[in-house]
Amino acid sequence: MSHDAEGHPFVLAVPSKGRLQENATAFFARAGLTLAQGRGARDYRGTLAGLDGVEVAFVSAAEIVSQLAAGTAHMGVTGEDLVRETLPDADTKVALLTPLGFGYANVVVAVPQAWIDVKTMADLEDVAAAFRARRGERMRVATKYLNLTRRFFAEQHVTDYRIVESLGATEGAPAAGQAELIVDITTTGATLAANALKILDDGVMLRSEANLVASLTAPWNEKTKETARIILSRIAAEEEARTTREVSTTLAGFEAQKQSNASELFSARLRRRSADGHLVLSCPRDKVASLADWLIAQGAEYVSVASQDYVFASVNPLYEKLAARL
Amino acid sequence: MSLTDDRLLQDALAVYLAAQGYQRCEPPILLPASDFFDSGEEIRGHLYLTSDISGTDYCLRPEYTIPVCRHYLASPEAGHPAAFCYSGPVFRYRANGPGEFIQAGLENFGRADREAADAEILALSLQTIAAVAGKSLSVRIGDAGLFASLLEALDLSPQWRRRISRGHLQGKALAAILAAPMNGASTDHSGVLAALEGSDKQGARALVEDLLAIAGIATVGGRTAAEIADRFLEQAALKAGSGFPAEKRAIIERFLKIENDPDHASAELRQLADDAKLDLAAILDQFDARLGFMAARGLDIEAMSFGTGFARNLDYYTGVVFEIHDKDHPGGQPLAGGGRYDLLAKTLGAKEAIPAVGAAIWVDRLADCDSGVHHES
Repeated sequence: MSHDAEGHPFVLAVPSKGRLQENATAFFARAGLTLAQGRGARDYRGTLAGLDGVEVAFVSAAEIVSQLAAGTAHMGVTGEDLVRETLPDADTKVALLTPLGFGYANVVVAVPQAWIDVKTMADLEDVAAAFRARRGERMRVATKYLNLTRRFFAEQHVTDYRIVESLGATEGAPAAGQAELIVDITTTGATLAANALKILDDGVMLRSEANLVASLTAPWNEKTKETARIILSRIAAEEEARTTREVSTTLAGFEAQKQSNASELFSARLRRRSADGHLVLSCPRDKVASLADWLIAQGAEYVSVASQDYVFASVNPLYEKLAARL
Repeated sequence: MSLTDDRLLQDALAVYLAAQGYQRCEPPILLPASDFFDSGEEIRGHLYLTSDISGTDYCLRPEYTIPVCRHYLASPEAGHPAAFCYSGPVFRYRANGPGEFIQAGLENFGRADREAADAEILALSLQTIAAVAGKSLSVRIGDAGLFASLLEALDLSPQWRRRISRGHLQGKALAAILAAPMNGASTDHSGVLAALEGSDKQGARALVEDLLAIAGIATVGGRTAAEIADRFLEQAALKAGSGFPAEKRAIIERFLKIENDPDHASAELRQLADDAKLDLAAILDQFDARLGFMAARGLDIEAMSFGTGFARNLDYYTGVVFEIHDKDHPGGQPLAGGGRYDLLAKTLGAKEAIPAVGAAIWVDRLADCDSGVHHES
C-alpha cells in the first residue's frame, strides 16, 4: 500500500456488516470503485481497486462516526441519525456531502396505542406533566438516542420525563413496564404497531438515511485532498449519469430564449452545440419524453436519447462542498 | 479570565458570604448520580458521569442547591430556619465554555417570614457582587406565585390552567399557548366526542373504558384506562366549549402586559384585580410586604424592573424570581439569579414543604468584566 509523504493514507470507513455494507459496496461499485477486502471476510482493512493510497476500514456504522469526528478516517458512509446523536457539534467536525438513497429510517416518538388522548407532542407534554404531578415521578422514555431525544423534547418544551437507556429491543420496553414511551428508529412502523405503539403526528424527530460524510478534523493534505477529489468526481459522474439522460437532436435557432425555456420546463441543460445546429442536452430521466416532444414541436425531426455510464464534469459539486469546509 | 482568577474570586466570595452569617456548606464534588435522577433531562444531559467498580453511577457536582438542601434536610436543623452559603467548582457540559466553572451562592431555609427572607437574599446577592467585583448592577424581578394565583382566581378548567401556566413558564406568548394543537382540536374521534357530549362523567368514563377494552388495547405504559378516559373527556369538554372565554383571555393579556417598576406594577395589578373582580388581595399584600422589606434594606425599588411575563425557566420556582445584571451590559447574561423554591425539600423527601429561597452567582461572568479585584489581561 502506498502512503503519502507523511505516512498517512487516505482512510475510507465503510460499514462492516449487514445491509448497510451491501448497499455501500454496491454504491461504490456503481461509481467504478471496487472495495477489495483483505484476506477473507474477517479482515477489517482493505483497498480500493485501481486507486492508490486509499485504505478502506471496515467498521461499525457507529464507530465510523467516532472515527470521522476524531479524524482517523477522512471519509465514510454512515447514517445521519448516528451523526446527529453522537456529535453535539456535528457541523464543526464533519460535512454531510450527499445522501445516498439507502439506509432510510426515521427516529420517532412512539406511545402506546391505548393513549387515545395523545396524538401530538403538545398532548404528550400535558400528559407528562400530569403524570409527574400525580405520581411524583417522571414519565420514562426508553431510547438509545439520548442526545437527539433531549434536544427534540426540549424544543417541544417536554420536560417532565426521564430517559431510560435502552440498547436493543426498545419497542418492547413499554410492554415490559420499563418505560411509558419510546424514541426509536423505524422504517415501516410495523415493529411499532406489532408492539401496540403509535407514532405521534409531529413525533418524527429525524428523517435519516445513509450519507457520504467527510471528516473536517482528519489530516488533510494535497495528496489526501486529491484522493477525495478523484473519489468524489467518480461518485458525482455516476450520479449525474444515473439521474440524467443525454438528448441529441438537430435544431436551428436554439438561442438563449429557447435554452432558458428548456431549462425552466424540463430542467434541461445544454452540453454541446455545433455550428450545424447539432445539440446535446442533459435532462432528468423522468422528463426526457416531454423534452423530446417539445423539441419536435420546435422543429426538430429526430430526437435521440441515450443513457451514459458516467458523466464527468469540470465542476464537481461534491468536492467543492468539501473543499469549502476544509 | 483564567480559572486561577476565578479561584481568587471564589475565595473572596466565600469569605464575604460567611461574614454575613451564612454557614459555609461544601458538599462533596463526587456525588451519587441518583441525587439528580429527578432533576430533569436538562441537567442530566449535562452531567459528567462516572461509575465505580460495583457499577454505581456518580457524577461531578453539577450545581449546589440540591446537595445543600439534602445536607440541610439531614441536619438537626431540618425544618427550622438555617442559612448556608457555598463557593466552589461545579461541572456541567457546556457547548461554549469549559465544563468546570465556579459558582457561589446563598440558600435560606425554613423561614416563615418569607417576604423578609426574599428581600434578604436579593439584598445580600447585590451587596456581595458589588463588594467583591465592584460593579453597578440592575435587577429584574418577577413572581411565579402571582400568575398561579391569577389562574386560580379565574376559575379555569384544569387542563387550561395546566397548559397556560406551563406555557408561560416556557416563555410562550398567550396566543401561541391557546392556539397549540392538541388531540381535542383535531377531527379524530369526533363521533365519540359528540356522543359523549353532555353525558354524566361516570357514564362517559365507563364508555371510554369499554371502548378501549373492545378494541382489545391492552393498557401499557403506566397509565390506566381511567386516566386516559378522564383526559379524553376533558378534551371533549374543551371541544364542546366555544374555545377559551374571551373575557378571561383579555384579563390574562392585560396581566401579562404589566411591565414597570415594582411599586407602579403593584398599583396596576390591584387595579386589574378590582376591574376584573378577582380576589388577589393575599398575594398582592405579600408582594407589597416584600417590597417594604427590600426598601428597608436600602434597595432602590424604583430602579428595578418588574415584569409579569418574567419567569425563570425552571419549574421549581414558586414565588419571587430575580436576575441581577451588569448595568453596563443589560442585555448580557445575568451575573446572578435566584428565587423562592418552596417545593424542593418535599421532592427530596421532606414530609412537608419547607420555605426556601436562594441565589446563585456566576463567578466566571464576574471575572469576564472589569472589576475591583480584576483587570483585563
